[in-house]
Amino acid sequence: MTTTMDRTASAGHSAKSPLIEKLNVFTAFGLGIILAVVFYVLAAKLIPEDTDAMLIHTKHDQIILLAMIGWFIGFMVGIGALIGPFRWLLGKDLSHDENMFYAGKDLGTKRYFRYTTDHKVVGIQYLVTTMIIFGVGGILAMLIRTNLGNPEGGWIHPQAYNAIVGIHGIIMIVGTIIMITGPFGNFVMPIMIGARDMAFPRLNALSFWLIVAAIPPILSSFFLGGIMTGWTAYEPLASESPAGMDGYIMFICIFAISTMVAGANITATVVRMRARGMTWNRTPIFIYGVVASVALALPAFPVFFLSQIMSAFDRAMGTTFYNPAGGGSGWLYENLFWLMGHPEVYVILLPAIGALMEMAPVFTRRPLFSFNVAVMGIAGICGLSALVWAHHMYMSGWAPLLNGPFMLTTELISIPTGMLFLVLVGTLWRGRLWLTVPMASIYALLWNFMIGGITGIYLSDVPADGALHGTMFVTAHFHYTLMGAGLTGAVASLSYWFPKMTGRMLDRRLSWVSFWMVQIGFNVAFIGMFLVGLAGQPRRVESYNAMFNRGNMVTTAGAYVIMTGMLILLFAVVDSWRNGIKASDNPWFAKTLEWSVPTPVPLENFATLPVVTTDAYGYGKAKS
Amino acid sequence: MSQETTHAHHEHPDVVGSRNRLGVILIIVADVAMALSILFVYFYLKGQNVNNMWLPTATEEVPATVPVSSMGAFYIAIISAFGMLLNGYALKGAKAKNQSQLTLGAMIAFAMSVIGLVYQIQQMNSAPFTMRMGAYASCYYLIAGLNALHLALTAFISLGNWNRARLGLYKTDHWHVAIIQVWWIWMTVSAALGAFALSFT
Repeated sequence: MTTTMDRTASAGHSAKSPLIEKLNVFTAFGLGIILAVVFYVLAAKLIPEDTDAMLIHTKHDQIILLAMIGWFIGFMVGIGALIGPFRWLLGKDLSHDENMFYAGKDLGTKRYFRYTTDHKVVGIQYLVTTMIIFGVGGILAMLIRTNLGNPEGGWIHPQAYNAIVGIHGIIMIVGTIIMITGPFGNFVMPIMIGARDMAFPRLNALSFWLIVAAIPPILSSFFLGGIMTGWTAYEPLASESPAGMDGYIMFICIFAISTMVAGANITATVVRMRARGMTWNRTPIFIYGVVASVALALPAFPVFFLSQIMSAFDRAMGTTFYNPAGGGSGWLYENLFWLMGHPEVYVILLPAIGALMEMAPVFTRRPLFSFNVAVMGIAGICGLSALVWAHHMYMSGWAPLLNGPFMLTTELISIPTGMLFLVLVGTLWRGRLWLTVPMASIYALLWNFMIGGITGIYLSDVPADGALHGTMFVTAHFHYTLMGAGLTGAVASLSYWFPKMTGRMLDRRLSWVSFWMVQIGFNVAFIGMFLVGLAGQPRRVESYNAMFNRGNMVTTAGAYVIMTGMLILLFAVVDSWRNGIKASDNPWFAKTLEWSVPTPVPLENFATLPVVTTDAYGYGKAKS
Repeated sequence: MSQETTHAHHEHPDVVGSRNRLGVILIIVADVAMALSILFVYFYLKGQNVNNMWLPTATEEVPATVPVSSMGAFYIAIISAFGMLLNGYALKGAKAKNQSQLTLGAMIAFAMSVIGLVYQIQQMNSAPFTMRMGAYASCYYLIAGLNALHLALTAFISLGNWNRARLGLYKTDHWHVAIIQVWWIWMTVSAALGAFALSFT
């Protein structure tokens, strides 16, 4: 053990310290697996058998869910998440040395495998985890596209295909939700506002390890019959699906808790811990994007959490929330799901756009065009995004009289979205462009998000949606928004903040090659998908009519180009991290606070806290 | 953009307390969203009454589902309100540096949370239906379950509060007690909202 924890200095608490030192990701997995097995065996023995008289057989789901709960409890105990609360309960608060140990002081690489509270460690943990999630989701995407390479499909069994589509969908959604607020919101945001750490460092670690705890349940669903419902898990189909659905439910419940915790933590950090002099008008626009995202998620994800708790009860306890035979309603699920589901789109997009708006002044050497319009645009999107959920349900037959109002609110959201476009284009206008990957990503976002946004207007239109609903057109549309805009922003963020996070420059040549391959492959793949969607190919099908073959071939070819580009990016990240050119403290000559601290960033970020006297976008001004 | 200034590493307790209070309020916002969603579920399914199964009538095999009186749920809200008042009493003691008032209030508030929890579990066990017997029954258990979860959390928090008060850890600052009061207020409101919903059968 390399820790410098001074046991003599913390007499009274030191006797407890060895337990803290022993817990890490391995004890977490070990205890999680042990408790899962114990819960499984006990549940199998103690829960009475289903009888023939029971309309719904629930024992199997009870056993699976209890085993997953056992996993969850074991994992959280094993990683050390409960030490803080129980020490509080016992009145034995953590000492300064113990807090320093939790912060990872002098622990080297071991701190990345522990319940470490330092926001920079959590940021790196999120970054690696996000890349793993995208890796798994990407492999599943390639399986889907390979199977759709010919009309008959058949390469993958239809049931396995359904499982792959469902898991690909939900795992990618989760990956895109955390891809910016996780790595960059954690690593960069506190430094950017001039804080030493997050408001609640232990909650920060908790939000990350909850995500790790959530991953095995969703992966286990492969072995429990898969997710047959697509990522939306509509009821009552979900209640009739195999036990793989229990993995989905557990995954969402744990992830929702993580999102709520992270939302409260990030919001409190920004509201309460900004540096002296950092008024709201001087707060960088990236911070607005992150806070808007988590503030939207904070009330939205509990609704999703509840929808899955009720699904679990329907499956395991025989309740009838969604079962029409017992007075339940599938529409209830759809409402709860989309009350989360549409704000969630902006939970993904706002940090991405915020990050690119942050980079635009740096690479154009101009002030951000109309900061106030940018803030109003973000606020407008937040407000309206809570009022548009039912446009996903036009064709479900729920409340047809409300279709008109929901069409109106959905189309209104293009106004604040347009304001963000205006800010980006206005910043680029007559700027002295420094053509880097982040800079090119701004153009890519404008192009991709324009297509994603305009096709979204078609889908928000009730008559057009009647023809396009449930087709590949919808799939292409949301990939254009979430991947074309969201993921582009995330890759740009990686390229931009990589020097501060790792101390190395991301390989310039490889990142350019990757950028062009991904963007070209992406547009080829999804414009092909738009075409087959317009021609009427339904989504979520394992085989299709031969008339759609050409478009699908184009899409599959594009997907392989994306995959190659992503693999090149992965190589560039790993290679640059290990052997890249050493970065200076401020390689982009940017003016936000994270570039004012040395690299690697010290444990408490600032030797002395800064006082902010101007905004961060004073490029080209005499006194900036 | 900035100039640097010296700053003490150790923050004033009021600053820490203010930050923690905001954090708890934000987590309560998430809980409010869930509680309101539960009310939405209740009134949505009641309003839809799909297949007349909100309150199923009797069949040859299964008796009719008879709704329970909402008074039980209101009693839970009243117990919560007592707990809230007692924690408020403890908070006053903490502010006045009256150790015995603080400890007494915190102890009885903890006792109220346990009483409420036991009473809530007893109500769930004695309901004249199972959660499988129609939409009302499912929703009843959902609301009661939320109360039980809230009360269990409150029991944990109140036990810690009492213990810390007993150990004299609130001699220099009392923001922990103030934050726990915020939670008590929300829990009481949540229990009252659930009881209000259950009064519509």
